[in-house]
Amino acid sequence: MRNNRRDWIVGSGRGLAGIAFAGLLSGNDRAFCSAQESSDPLAPRPGHHAPKADRIVFIYSTGGVSHVDTWDYKPKLYQDHGNKITATRWLNKPGAFERYLIKPRWTFSQHGRSGTWVSALFPNLATCVDDLCVLNAMVCDSDGHDKGTLAAHTGSAQFARPSHGAWVSYGLGTVNQNLPSFVVLAPNPPYAGAQCWGSDFLPGCHQGTHVIPGDQPLAHLKPRVSNLAQQTLELELLEKFNARAVRNSPLDPMLEARMRSFQTAFGMQIQAPEAFDLTSETQATLDMYGLERGQTKGFGWQCLIARRLAERGVRFIELIDTGSNSAENWDSHGNMQDHERLAKMIDRPICGLLQDLKARGMLERTLVVWTTEFGRTPFHQTADHPGREHHNLVFSSWMAGGGVKGGVVYGESDEYGIEPAVGQVHTHDLHATMLHCAGLDHERLTYRHAGRDYRLTDVAGRVVQEVLL
Amino acid sequence: MSKRFQSIFVSRFLLALGLLASHFCLVRCLGQDSEASLREADFFESRIRPILVEHCQECHSLATQKSSGGLLLDSREGWHKGGDSGAVIVPNKPAESLLVRAVRHGDGVSPMPPTDSGRRLSESQVQDLEAWILRGAYDPRQQAPRLGGMDAEQARLWWAFQPIKSIEPPAVMHPEWVWNPIDRFIVAKLEAQRVDPVLPASKQAWLRRVTLDLTGMVPTPEQIDVYMADDTPNANETIVDRLLASYEHAERYGRHWLDVARYADTAGDGADYPVREAYKYRDWVIRAIHRNKPWDQFLREQIAGDLYAQDLFKQGLGDGKTDALEEYSDLVTATGFLAIGKRYGYAPNTDFQHLDFADVIDSIGRSVLGLSIGCARCHDHKYDPISMQDYYGLYGILQSTRWAFPGGEEHKRPANFPPLLPPQQVRQLEEQRDSQLRELDASIQAAQVQRSKLDPSFHAGGIDLDLEAQEIGKPPSKAWLSAGPNQVTAESQSPFEHIFGQGSRGVRIGSGTPHEGVRYVFAQKAKLIDKPLFFTIDFRIPKSADGSQDPDGSCRLYLGRGVIESTAIECSITKNQFAIKDAGQWKVIGSLETDKWYHLQLKLDPGDMTYSGGIYGLEFYAQVPKVALPTNWDRIADTFICDGFGHGSSGVITRELDNVGLDTEAFAPFGSAPFVRPSKTPAGQEAIASLDQQIKALESQRANIATQVLYPVAYGVGEAESVDARIQLRGEPSKLDQEVPRGYLAVLGGHRVDPTGGQSGRRDLAQWLTDSSRPLAARVFVNRLWHWHFGKGLVSTTSDFGLRGSDPSHPELLEYLAGRFMESGWDVRALHRLIVLSRTYHLASYSSDSNDPLSAHKALELDPENRLLWRHTKRPMDAESLRDSILSICGLLDRNVPKEHPFPPVDSWGFTIHNPFHGVYDSMHRSVYLMQQRNRKNAYLSLFDGADPNLSVDERKPTTTPTQSLFLMNSPLVHRASESLATRLIESRQDQSSRLQELYKITLGRFPSDQEQQECLDFMRVYSGQEASIALGDTELKTWSALCRVLMTSNSFLYID
Repeated sequence: MRNNRRDWIVGSGRGLAGIAFAGLLSGNDRAFCSAQESSDPLAPRPGHHAPKADRIVFIYSTGGVSHVDTWDYKPKLYQDHGNKITATRWLNKPGAFERYLIKPRWTFSQHGRSGTWVSALFPNLATCVDDLCVLNAMVCDSDGHDKGTLAAHTGSAQFARPSHGAWVSYGLGTVNQNLPSFVVLAPNPPYAGAQCWGSDFLPGCHQGTHVIPGDQPLAHLKPRVSNLAQQTLELELLEKFNARAVRNSPLDPMLEARMRSFQTAFGMQIQAPEAFDLTSETQATLDMYGLERGQTKGFGWQCLIARRLAERGVRFIELIDTGSNSAENWDSHGNMQDHERLAKMIDRPICGLLQDLKARGMLERTLVVWTTEFGRTPFHQTADHPGREHHNLVFSSWMAGGGVKGGVVYGESDEYGIEPAVGQVHTHDLHATMLHCAGLDHERLTYRHAGRDYRLTDVAGRVVQEVLL
Repeated sequence: MSKRFQSIFVSRFLLALGLLASHFCLVRCLGQDSEASLREADFFESRIRPILVEHCQECHSLATQKSSGGLLLDSREGWHKGGDSGAVIVPNKPAESLLVRAVRHGDGVSPMPPTDSGRRLSESQVQDLEAWILRGAYDPRQQAPRLGGMDAEQARLWWAFQPIKSIEPPAVMHPEWVWNPIDRFIVAKLEAQRVDPVLPASKQAWLRRVTLDLTGMVPTPEQIDVYMADDTPNANETIVDRLLASYEHAERYGRHWLDVARYADTAGDGADYPVREAYKYRDWVIRAIHRNKPWDQFLREQIAGDLYAQDLFKQGLGDGKTDALEEYSDLVTATGFLAIGKRYGYAPNTDFQHLDFADVIDSIGRSVLGLSIGCARCHDHKYDPISMQDYYGLYGILQSTRWAFPGGEEHKRPANFPPLLPPQQVRQLEEQRDSQLRELDASIQAAQVQRSKLDPSFHAGGIDLDLEAQEIGKPPSKAWLSAGPNQVTAESQSPFEHIFGQGSRGVRIGSGTPHEGVRYVFAQKAKLIDKPLFFTIDFRIPKSADGSQDPDGSCRLYLGRGVIESTAIECSITKNQFAIKDAGQWKVIGSLETDKWYHLQLKLDPGDMTYSGGIYGLEFYAQVPKVALPTNWDRIADTFICDGFGHGSSGVITRELDNVGLDTEAFAPFGSAPFVRPSKTPAGQEAIASLDQQIKALESQRANIATQVLYPVAYGVGEAESVDARIQLRGEPSKLDQEVPRGYLAVLGGHRVDPTGGQSGRRDLAQWLTDSSRPLAARVFVNRLWHWHFGKGLVSTTSDFGLRGSDPSHPELLEYLAGRFMESGWDVRALHRLIVLSRTYHLASYSSDSNDPLSAHKALELDPENRLLWRHTKRPMDAESLRDSILSICGLLDRNVPKEHPFPPVDSWGFTIHNPFHGVYDSMHRSVYLMQQRNRKNAYLSLFDGADPNLSVDERKPTTTPTQSLFLMNSPLVHRASESLATRLIESRQDQSSRLQELYKITLGRFPSDQEQQECLDFMRVYSGQEASIALGDTELKTWSALCRVLMTSNSFLYID
């Protein structure tokens, strides 16, 4: 009679998941399962070409981060502050609008060997610029929060479509079956809610798993029986019955997949809490992220968990900064001073994440992307207006690691940061580039649905070759 | 050769023929025409065609499936028609031809070939093109007539569009394998492939299968006993009839249709507004299936139910028979099918309606016709014979429809929900309420007038504008709204005292932007119904600050409902003119001077709907002649505005206002004695307090009546003004092209809505969709039903019968079923019966004992996907079946139809994209009744691959993930259910063995084998031993709970054999 979990797991030994757990329980953190069976939609699969990035960390700052106050340095905007210009769009309407230029409240300076300009809002991230590829001529299709956010996540500002993480999971599967392939760490949902990590018409296993920072990161992870030994007994009997059902139904492989998934789930009970448990992190590491010991929320927590998930083979990790409540996010209509508080919340954690990944030799195989739904207007109705409005004609994002050049600024906006001048990168282009780094060709990563082959990039998208290593 | 290959072959062949034909034509032309023609042909072939082929057609030809910018350059028709920017070649006029500008990289056009291609035409090539155009642009290339993405001829021949053929079931070699006609088709094909089917499933297995399939729940022990004891030849029929007649069946198959109909309980806009009435459509679907409504009628009512309801009404429903009223309500509710999709707008306007319509057109196409019509929104369909004309023909029908608005960020209240009562009753109820409200308004107003006469601090005639109470030196506040450089000043006091008495201040409104100014919203809406209304104001245009020159610009006085929502009166003032808006035009009616005060009095007359009055001053009078009030004014005046949108030269003028009043009684005429305010007395104060109380009570009474639900409504549609839509180039509503008459798909007959009928065309559409001469609706439905029973349709792409869809595995069977279905009067229940009573449906999923292993091996090799149906494919329970079955076996399921969802009260709705609606409502009802949001998925349903309500779902795609297993291991639901089941077992039976028998019957629909029984007993012994050693409560209950859990999460439970 076997009465502890190790016996159950080793004894069951059917399929590689079981073996992986033997490894897991003997203390090996990296419990990688190799391809198990073609019927498993999450089994790791090769992409279209050799990837530069094994995983993607996608950081999303909600609300619309002003480009001219952060990454896009416009000296002329300071000089011509208060001057009248004619804007071609205002509050989502085309036309001719007399507006006044407004200078940023923060100064810019050059950093790193590359001399990349960064505003005083990001003193810590400024030390990372030699690893960053800043995109200063981003454009997107909508200046509405919900539509812009959907476009950034699904490629469509209009219709429900699968999210980028779901596409990557669908294209590549995942190496660690003990954790979801696509994890979204978000204290509050962004605009458009769960559609941002939905799988839509892709199989449901590719949807993002929403982790709300706190004590119970994943649902149903805690056993509800008296102890693990009891649960092991249950699972042993279940496996006995299931194995018989599998023998009696050799033609229906789903049954075996289901049997195996219980083993995996049992493994998740152990490994997932461990992935979210920061007790083994050193004080130095916690400091790097600006975290207090015992803290289980905040952006530093999200960033450090992201590193731990990356280490454990999660394919796509998204970190959502703030959420759809405009009083708390980057939607600074009323007062741009709010940007300072918001920048402070993410500056050190993201810098910590980049440094930590780099120190562990993971950055070059991890693509980190930071973006937002759109920028903010460099102008307003009066010269002394304290806020800025939505601006999707041009804005800033950045990428780092994972096959992207560091210390580079790609794309320029015009002299005031109103429209792209050169090197325009559309949301579709950013997606195409992300997929490319992960080893996927955005034109070939398709799914047949309702008579059409759908893509993350719809019928557009260009890999921004200029920024690739 | 598969059908797809065939069609590719055919199209290649036709293409070759086309080329031949054009050559032939060329040769013939040569025979008839002159040498000139030969020269043209020669020039084209040697100089022009190579340029087009090499540099243009990659992005502009049907062969490459690309028409960048909407332009085709592979035929004369292509460039004749032109692209999104219009014609590109003007014969004889190279300078006016866009093509030349593009290849020359001229201004205002995209350079061609595109710069990033790195290619550019040589100068001589460009000159050749110019010469060619100058000579008339001879082009022998003719396009085959096309329909959407298909050659028109080929489209007509596409199998899915053929009329339904009458088919006789084939003869077979093994008649013993045949139970009903379906089996003949299946067996004939198996025989042809020399594949033997497996044996039928056991009685118990079939019962569990058919019960789960038809009702979404496992059979109860009682049902099993009855069926097992029934050894009559009709035992199967009996059980099937009983299942089909059950409400559980309607709930199960209703849910199937709700997948296709993209049902959810919220709107899916950014703020995800709740739709309180959505459930009515859901319940209608279930009821309709329960009544076995003929499917064609079921479809038609969802498209045009409201119109049939009107017919019913016209046929004399007016006498109010209850049945007829219920039918009326049902018919209107049915149109929820159209309304229930994802919404994109924030207010009931047309900004995002093209996206709402895209969803509706796409959903109708997929669900009823199995065609992806939505693909023709931005361009003709790439593969199927559906053009933009087709798309916008349907679009016009939707645009001529009135849509319920669910609420949204900008307009937070639902609007335009169709009533579930006939118009006459609705009118009666509304009139009743209106008259109640009118009476109350009159009482309130009377009390206010009375109060104003007693209150010395009351300054503004009938309705208090309270300027006198404002603080000097500040912009007017409270009751008033002010934007821009405005100030209350003592200098702005009007000298006229005949209405308001002596005052101390007025407001000076500075010259800001036109949007700026002051606004006053009256506490009571004044309605111009039977009594006249009176308006008065004093104004002055001051000289500019230094007094040296007269100021420029104008200002506007507005009276109406809301902020310019419904306008009654507009006047405009400049330094020297007074103008009024008459029939949309400014008309100057008086000359003014700066620095002088004027007094305006107007009377609004409800009799002839005009207003008139005069402008008075010291030694000044100008008549305001009778002017018609705007016809679109809704007779409500509740807002006064003075802003900068006046007549005359641009700019806004500084002005001073005082003594504003609106009343139902006439004001004192100009020149009357000064008005003297009553003085404050204790008796007066008391009377005021009592009046205040009276007013408050009346107002709350009014609010109650005004917000009372007068009659039930549905989330559906009605008729609007009929219009034809214009094509939206690239799907962008700002890029309008030609108008398309409302109508139906050309490939299915191309019928047109009668433009003189004054109806949206939904009635016609409902008819076209289900007309028995057009075969798609029936074909698509019988295939869908097959899919619901077997997990895979005969056409596996159940919502796509177009070119990219899959070929039918058994085309004759599909024809046979569709034909039989229509003959039966679209009787769904009969079709269910036919399918589940077939031997094909009865086959085992696999049986290692009773089959010839060699034969199964061969079948597997030949047909691993079981397209031939030589066995039954096992399927996992879907999300709803799993939850419903678990709840039902443990006795926790509430089988009643629940009431509406407990959404927050509508008056409290303030959802925005920043703060969207989110609700989670616990329920023990069947899963079809769970509240489902569009933007925040129901966690359980989404974990087990429930339908995404944001699009029409034709197939659940089950996945097997560890997070599902975690749910089965650790969720409160499974634990609660297992404990509840264990309690029932322990209480109802004494000995272990009979409890085990019962447990197996309840969960798996069979009895345990000896071995299983032993395994369970062994497990319980060890488990209870361990449990007792740690002594945590009731050992027996815990042990039995654990065993129940194992069985209700085992493969034999989760999968339908």
